[in-house]
Amino acid sequence: MADIKKETMRKLLAKLAESMTLVGPSDNGKVVEYKKTDADSVLMDDRISYKSPKEFYFPQTEKLLTFSRDEAVENTDVPPTVIFGAKPCDLEALRVMNAVFMEGRYADPFFDRHMSQNLIIGVGCLKKKPGCFCDELGLDMEFSDFCDIMLTDTGDTYKVEHLSEKGEKALAQLPETAKVTCANKRTAKKPDGDVIGLSADIEDITLFDSVNWSDLTATCQGCGMCTYICPTCHCFEFKDVSKDGCVERYRCWDSCIYPKFTLHASGHNPRASRADRYRQRVLHKYLYVKKNTGHAACTGCGRCLRSCPVGVNIKTVAKAVMEVAK
Amino acid sequence: MSVLETQAQKVRDSAKKLLADATAQTVIGYADEGVDGLCVPVFITDVKDVGRLVWNRRSVPNLASYLIGRKGKTAIVAKPCDARAVVNLIVENQIKRDDVHIIGMDCPGMTDAAGAALHACETCQVNTSPVFDERIENAEVKPVSPEKRDAERGLDENLARFTKEMEKCILCFSCRQACYGCYCQTCFMDRGVPDWHPESPDMGAKMLYHLGRAMHLAGRCVECGACENACASGVDVRYLIREVTGFVKELYGYDTGLSLEDQPAMLTYQPDDREVGFLGGEAHG
Repeated sequence: MADIKKETMRKLLAKLAESMTLVGPSDNGKVVEYKKTDADSVLMDDRISYKSPKEFYFPQTEKLLTFSRDEAVENTDVPPTVIFGAKPCDLEALRVMNAVFMEGRYADPFFDRHMSQNLIIGVGCLKKKPGCFCDELGLDMEFSDFCDIMLTDTGDTYKVEHLSEKGEKALAQLPETAKVTCANKRTAKKPDGDVIGLSADIEDITLFDSVNWSDLTATCQGCGMCTYICPTCHCFEFKDVSKDGCVERYRCWDSCIYPKFTLHASGHNPRASRADRYRQRVLHKYLYVKKNTGHAACTGCGRCLRSCPVGVNIKTVAKAVMEVAK
Repeated sequence: MSVLETQAQKVRDSAKKLLADATAQTVIGYADEGVDGLCVPVFITDVKDVGRLVWNRRSVPNLASYLIGRKGKTAIVAKPCDARAVVNLIVENQIKRDDVHIIGMDCPGMTDAAGAALHACETCQVNTSPVFDERIENAEVKPVSPEKRDAERGLDENLARFTKEMEKCILCFSCRQACYGCYCQTCFMDRGVPDWHPESPDMGAKMLYHLGRAMHLAGRCVECGACENACASGVDVRYLIREVTGFVKELYGYDTGLSLEDQPAMLTYQPDDREVGFLGGEAHG
């Protein structure tokens, strides 16, 4: 580990921004969000963005290909991006996303392009924010190794660790006086079992009727904002748009909370009620992704708890499900 | 005991009585169980649970939309804006007056987690419930200064403001879901044909949605601010609707949700109605 001044970090970001898009926590006048910004205005405090930075490796709308009767051209145009200030919960979420998109039977070339082009600079949290529960999941709020460079905020300076070759190369662009060498890389704390989480052995169907989903989710207004700001929610749909005699195919975020998500062409909806849909969200997070990848798809970032207009608390729901699952 | 705590105690006493004598099967109120002090909606059906009911300056969510589709008589702890929403739901035949028991709270205005007044509350005009079955008073509640409509702007300036606000919007539709008035079974944005929603968070889709929604709320907005409070992205969703509400008031002298008898502005027509905005009608200004 080595220390560099925050001002020097700004210089490095400015340098990187010459050839890459810089994304970092920014104050939009009301809340903090990750967005395209410049090295001078990127926030270097401990505030957490209301939404995760997932849109920069899994965009809300992404063109996949353009095709006509005769040919199809894949869209390989991915802007190289520096994501600065991702929190350890975001990085652990990225580990989950990576498992979903890259480690299954198929590797997703679009996600892969983002991952290989992006430079991810994580910053550890100094303190728990209201609603945060990464500790209850056994995660470390100060550190994750699923990034290229990890920073620890020590006031005017950052402790710096590079965790990949990409990170090392980026740090080599620091001004001569601030060169860092990193020995003794830390490794991330592994979640120690099922603090909040379901055993991957349980059959989901036993939880369909034995949990009182209606009561647990009675106040949910069905807005689905929780899925948009969540760092691990990754459901999508495809949309074809005709343009200039060709068809452009887009991948767009979708949400299990929306009734349209499972609406059949016949008009039948297998998840007809909000309780059905919320059940899907909870079981997908804590059970299905775990069955498929070994990771639960929740890292305790607390965003859904903080932003839900009516305070629906996924932790309370998950714990109630665990009680039944025991 | 503070005035608010006295009000809270009265809410609990009332809920106990309503459930005990079966005047209501459910009491919808607030529980202090959210993050950062946010009071979240709670449905009380058993007298032994009334202790969960609270009332303070973080009783933010508008509870009116929970009444739609409920069976049996429901009592609702209603801020004046919630009560206005209930009234308008009755006027629009979404719920029946006999099915709801309104516990009308005198309201000092709600705050955010940091204690600052919410925007809608800062300029609220109605701080006692216009219609109620019982009123829980708060002598400290004072009228506030009227909200001024935004000064007329040019087209460019309007567009610039809209663009600035909408850059933050992620089109998650939480403002719609939080709105008591957005009770359409299928929102125009969710209809497949025509394809209103290009599934892309671009300015065109945002304009379609936010302007469409503002027009649908003409003469129906009760200015509770639920849309703005629900927005995690910090968009001032309310300003467009505020403009539309201002027009309705100016043109037809109608305030939403203040009376069970008044004809809603958009559900009635008089030959001498001002026709601002009609093609060939009078110009505005």
